[in-house]
Amino acid sequence: MDIGELETTAALAQIDLGEGDLDRLGAAVSQMLSYFEKMNALDTEGLEPTTHALVKDNRVRPDTVVASDLADALIEQAPEREDRFFVIPNVL
Amino acid sequence: MSAPATAWKQFQSKKKAYLDYAGPWEKKIGSFLTFRPEADPVPGLGAGPLSGLPFGVKDNIAVEGFPLTCGSKMLANVVSPYDATVVARLKAAGAFVIGKTNLDEFGMGSSTDNSALGKTHNPWDIARVAGGSSGGSAAAVAAGLVPFALGTDTGGSVRQPAAFCGVYGFKPTYGVLSRYGLTAYASSLETPGVLSADLDLVRWVFDTCKGRDVHDQTSLDAEALPPKAVKTIAVLSDLADLDPEVKAVYEHTLSVLKDLGYALLPVTLPTLEYAVPSYYTIAMAEASANLARFNGIRYGHRPVYAENPEHLVRQSRTAGFGDEVKTRIMVGTYVLRSGFQDQFYTKAQKVRTLIRRDLQSVFDRADLLLSPAFPTPPFVHGDASMNDFQQKLADKFTVTANLAGVPALAFPAGLAEGLPIGMQFTAPAFGEARLFEAAAAFAARVPVVPCPGTSLDWSK
Amino acid sequence: MYQTVVGLEIHIHLNTKTKAFCGCQAEFGDEPNSNVCPVCLGYPGVLPVLNEEALNQAYVVARALDCSLSKRTLFDRKNYFYPDMPKNYQITQFHDPVGRDGSIQFLSPDGTVKAVRIHDVHLEEDAGKMIHAGDMSLCDYNRAGYSLLEVVTEPDLTSGEDAEAFLLSFQRLVRYLGVSDGNMDEGSMKCDTNVSIRKAGEPLGTKIEVKNLNSTRFIKKAIEFESKRQATALDGGQKLVQETRLWNENRDVTESMRTKEGSLDYRYFPEPDIPPFVPDAAFFQAIEKRQVELPLARRKRLTEAFQLSREQADFVTEGRFVADFFESAAKAAGGGPTAGLAIANWLMGDVQKELNHFGLSLETSPLTADRLAKLQILLDSGRIHIKIAKQLLDAVFEEKKDPEVLLKEKGWEAITTEEQLSPIVDQVFAKNANVVEAVKAGDVRQKGYLVGQVMQATGGRASPALVNALLAKKL
Repeated sequence: MDIGELETTAALAQIDLGEGDLDRLGAAVSQMLSYFEKMNALDTEGLEPTTHALVKDNRVRPDTVVASDLADALIEQAPEREDRFFVIPNVL
Repeated sequence: MSAPATAWKQFQSKKKAYLDYAGPWEKKIGSFLTFRPEADPVPGLGAGPLSGLPFGVKDNIAVEGFPLTCGSKMLANVVSPYDATVVARLKAAGAFVIGKTNLDEFGMGSSTDNSALGKTHNPWDIARVAGGSSGGSAAAVAAGLVPFALGTDTGGSVRQPAAFCGVYGFKPTYGVLSRYGLTAYASSLETPGVLSADLDLVRWVFDTCKGRDVHDQTSLDAEALPPKAVKTIAVLSDLADLDPEVKAVYEHTLSVLKDLGYALLPVTLPTLEYAVPSYYTIAMAEASANLARFNGIRYGHRPVYAENPEHLVRQSRTAGFGDEVKTRIMVGTYVLRSGFQDQFYTKAQKVRTLIRRDLQSVFDRADLLLSPAFPTPPFVHGDASMNDFQQKLADKFTVTANLAGVPALAFPAGLAEGLPIGMQFTAPAFGEARLFEAAAAFAARVPVVPCPGTSLDWSK
Repeated sequence: MYQTVVGLEIHIHLNTKTKAFCGCQAEFGDEPNSNVCPVCLGYPGVLPVLNEEALNQAYVVARALDCSLSKRTLFDRKNYFYPDMPKNYQITQFHDPVGRDGSIQFLSPDGTVKAVRIHDVHLEEDAGKMIHAGDMSLCDYNRAGYSLLEVVTEPDLTSGEDAEAFLLSFQRLVRYLGVSDGNMDEGSMKCDTNVSIRKAGEPLGTKIEVKNLNSTRFIKKAIEFESKRQATALDGGQKLVQETRLWNENRDVTESMRTKEGSLDYRYFPEPDIPPFVPDAAFFQAIEKRQVELPLARRKRLTEAFQLSREQADFVTEGRFVADFFESAAKAAGGGPTAGLAIANWLMGDVQKELNHFGLSLETSPLTADRLAKLQILLDSGRIHIKIAKQLLDAVFEEKKDPEVLLKEKGWEAITTEEQLSPIVDQVFAKNANVVEAVKAGDVRQKGYLVGQVMQATGGRASPALVNALLAKKL
C-alpha cells in the first residue's frame, strides 16, 4: 500500500504512525485490503446494498423531555475540567 | 429448576466456600478485569429463576458503577454511569453483577489476547486461549465462577469462545436483545449474547432480556415463528479446511443427529467464502466511525500535555488504542473513503444481500443449519499459524449469522485430545426456539462435560 | 461585466422541546453541560433515538418549500473530528433527505417576485459550543444534538441585495410555520453562501464559499465584496481557486481560511442505528395540515383586499401573528380597504407606541384583534372622536379591558347632539357671564376662550364643530 495513502488514512482517523507502525500496521492494512478484493469475483450487479440488518417499523421517539440526572456524574469523568466545562488546549 | 441453577441460589449462604474456590481459579485463568465476588444481590427483587444469581458481564457492556474498559487503555479509567438495558432487565429479575470479564480490545479479536489490560487462559488448558472476543466470559463460566455471563457477538465473539471453553454461546436474532449499553464496534452486525454451561439458564436469560427497548431504535420484539418441530437440519456439503479434531467431532455430531431422527440435508452455500471479506469490510467501516468518539476530551485516556487540540486527540488515540484496533480503524476509514467506497463498502453490502438470500434459501428447505463453530480446536497463546489474519479467515462459520441477522447457538459437542470442540446451529430470524430444542435433544445424548477441576459444590 | 451567482446554505434550529436524538431539553441559557446525557456526550454504548417532532417539522418545511418529499428517508453519518463533536461524526442526511427539488418565491427589493430553487432540505444534529479563554478552550455540549434543519438552495440568486431579501423572507417563512425563531443573533439561524461570477453566456465560475456571516446584513456586504474581489482577480489575470473564506465583520472583507488538503472527505455512509423512515398517508396528511398560507401569498392577498401600501404590507405580514391579527381586525371592522387602512395605521402608529411604552409584544398585549376592531367601529360610528379613541386604546393597555366596557366605565361617549351639549354650554356661560357679555357685545377674540372652556367641560367628548355651531346659536 502506498505510504501516502496510509498516511492520509491515518490522518483521517486521527492516529499517528511512528516509524515501526508504518511498516507493521501498513502491512496489516494492505493485507486486509488485498483480501477484500476477493469480493470482486462475485457478480453483484443490480443488487441493493444491505444498509440495515432486519429493521422493521418506523421508530420515533415523542418530543418529551427525559431529564437525565447524570450530567454531574458525566462531567466528573472529564480528564480536565474548569467549572462545568471540558477543557482542551485553545483551538484558535 | 436445573441442578446448576439451584446450586447457584446458594451463592449467598456459601460465600466463603465460593471465594475459596474462585480465588485460585481466577488466578489461574484471569477471566475478570474487575471481580467483586463480595457483591450481594439487592434483596426482594424478582422471584423467578434468575433471582439471586450472580453473573459476569463482558467489559464492553455498561454496568452502572463498574468500569467500562472495553479491554483498552483508552477507557481504563472510565466508570459507567448507566446500565445497559440487558443488564437492567437482569437486575430487575433479581440477578446481580459480580464482575466485568476480559475481552479482546473493543471486541476485536478471536483469542482475548488482544486485551490491553489482562491475560485470560482457557480453563481446560491454560497454555491455550479462551477464544474471543468474549473469552473472559467463556472462561469464567467454564471454570464455574458464574452460572452465566453476558458477551457481545459481532462475528462470532460469543459462539467461538463458548466452543473453545466447552459451554453454550448464544447469539439472538439481531435487535431482539437491545444494544443500548453495548460499546459499539459494528452497529449493524452485533448483539449481546449469553454464555452458560446450562441451556435452561441461557433460555431464561434470553426470555428475561428480550424485546423492544426505547433506547434502541433497531431493537425488536421477539416474534414467534409458526410452531413447527425441528425435522430437517442442513449440513454443508463442501466443508474443507477443518482440523482433524474438529472434523472428528463434527462427524460424530452428524451421526448423533441422524440417530435422533433428524433428516440431514446436504447444502452448499456458494457465498460462504465471501462472507468473511464482506463481514470485515462492513465491521471495520462501522468501527472506524464508532471508535471516533474516543479522543480523550470528555472521558478516557489523555496525554498529560498537548500543544493543541488536534495533538491532544491524536496522542490520546495513538497511545490509547492497541495495534489491532488501529489496523481495523484504518482499514475501515479507507474502505469508506471517497473513491474507494463503492469498490469496498458498497460492494460488501451487496455481497451481504447475496449471503442473506443464500441463507434464506437454505431455510426454505431446512429448519436449522449445522456447522462447526470454528475450524480448529482452542489454539495456544501466540500460535504462529493462527495470527490475527488467520484468525479472521477462520471466522467463516460464525460471521454468516451476523451478516444475515439470524440467531445461532454454539453448543459443546464433545472432546478431542482433552479439549472441548463446539458445533453450531443457525436458525432463521426469530427461530431461537428451534436452536434450544435441537441443542437440548443433542445434550440428552451427548451431555455437556464440565471442565476438569471445576465444581458446583464449592464446599468440597 | 460579470454576473454574480449566489447559492445559500441555511441552518435553522427547530423548535423541538428535546434534542434530535436524545431526550435532553433543547433549551438555551442553562449552566454549561447541564442538559446532557450519555447519548449527547458520546459515551460508550449509547444509541441515537430519533425525535418525532423534529422529523415532522423537517417535512413541514420541505413541503412549504414545494419539495419532492421522500417516501423513504434515511440518515447518514458525516465523519470528521472536531472538539465540539461528541461522536466525531454528525448524524445528518445525505443519500435520502426529507425533501428535494423544491422552489420558493420572494419579493426582491427591485419590486419583482423571483423564484429560488431548493436543492434539498435535510435534518441533522448540531455540535456543542466552545469558548476560547487564554490558552484553553472550554467545551459545552448543551447544544450538542439540537435539531438542525439545513436548507440548500440552487445558485439562483444574483446579488447580495436579493440574497439578503431571500434570507429575510425565509426567516419569515419558518416563523410563520412556527418551526423556528430563525434568529441569527441568537444563533437559531445561520447562513453560509457560495459566490461565483461569470460573463453572460459562459459556464459557472469557480465557486467560493463564505462563512461566518452572523447577521443578515453581512450576507449582502459579503456577497458584494466577494464578487468585486473575484472580478478584480479575474480581470488581473489571476485564476480563482475553490476555497472557503471567512467574513471579517470588523474589516468588512472576506479572508482566506487555512485550508487543509484531503481533510474534507466525510466518508458518508448510512446510519445503522436509525431505521429508514417510511411515511404513510396519515403522516403526509398531518404535514399538509400544518402548512400555512406562505408569507408572500398572504402579502399579495392582503395587499389586494385592503389596498395596502408597500410599507403597510411589509408591516402587517412581517409575522404570522400580526398578519392574523390584522386580517381578523380588518374583517371585523368592516372588511375592505377603508377598514384595512385604518387598522394598519393603528398598528403601525399608536399601537406600536403603546407596545413600546409597556414593553410588550402584540402577542403578549391585552389588545386583541377584536378589541382593536371594536375601537375602530366606535370611531366609525361617531360614538367617540379620535382623541378619545387614543385615550381608550391606552386604557385598554392600562386596564386590560374591552373598549366598550371602558367607554361605559369612563363615560367617554361622544356628545353628538345639541341637546346633550346645551346644558354644559349653559353651565360654562353661567360661570363666565362677563365673557359671554363681551362676546355678545362683539369681542370675537374671547369666543375662543369659551370654546376652550366648553371643550374642557366635556372632557373632549364633543367635536369642535358641534361646539362652535351651538355657541354660534347661543351667542
